[in-house]
Amino acid sequence: MTTELTVLALAALLQMVQYVLMSVPANLELGPAKTLGPRDPQRLGGDIRSLVSPRTGRLIRALDNHFEALILFTIAVVVVTLTGQSTPFTSTCAWIYIMARVLYIPAYAFGLTPWRSLIWLVGLSATLAMLLAALL
Amino acid sequence: MTETTILALYGLLVVITIVLQASGAMTQLGMGYLLSSRDEGRTVTGMSGRLDRALTNSVTAMALFAPAILLLIATNSTTAQTLLLAKAFLIGRVIYLPAYVFGLIGIRTASWSLGFIATAILYFLAL
Repeated sequence: MTTELTVLALAALLQMVQYVLMSVPANLELGPAKTLGPRDPQRLGGDIRSLVSPRTGRLIRALDNHFEALILFTIAVVVVTLTGQSTPFTSTCAWIYIMARVLYIPAYAFGLTPWRSLIWLVGLSATLAMLLAALL
Repeated sequence: MTETTILALYGLLVVITIVLQASGAMTQLGMGYLLSSRDEGRTVTGMSGRLDRALTNSVTAMALFAPAILLLIATNSTTAQTLLLAKAFLIGRVIYLPAYVFGLIGIRTASWSLGFIATAILYFLAL
């Protein structure tokens, strides 16, 4: 297993951790009657996302953002691995990606401006570098 | 050009879409808001709104297309036909972005359908 694939597995685990970080406070705040229901905005008095506390809202958005990042990162890892182009450079990029995505969560939750955006950019740039390394 | 190259090129297209969407949001909402925790949930309108929706759609398409390519490569079932379909997907998605941004009715739906149908056939061929 290449380093990139190991990091990919860790990134998927991170996504699961993010689910827990988001759903536990959301369930505590809204109660199971709302979260287990069909979540119709008309019945809840608004979109379920707008009913949680600001911090939980941030954790929901952090999870959504990692979906996008993770799909792109998966493609980068797969392309690098399948074409046998794994190098110390691409594995370093993978480690940078996962570190950035771990830091992104507290940066979002605690509203660290502009660090959240910079950390996001580091993760995206690492993915872009892997894609370019595979193509060039 | 192989299916993997097409997958990597599509990854680049999504990266470009993210950059365009972020710059559109920057002009409409301001850098200050983007750097903040966005607790108010402001939304973009007009062309930036279209870029926003195009990005969401592109991510969905990517989540469907990538496993199809992986399946084909992992099972060694890539053929000239699958390469052609992968190319059709990429062409469809390249057209989709400007078609959405410039509001080209019909063309957007047609290019989306091209990508979607190509992906669906790829799954059938993988089976």
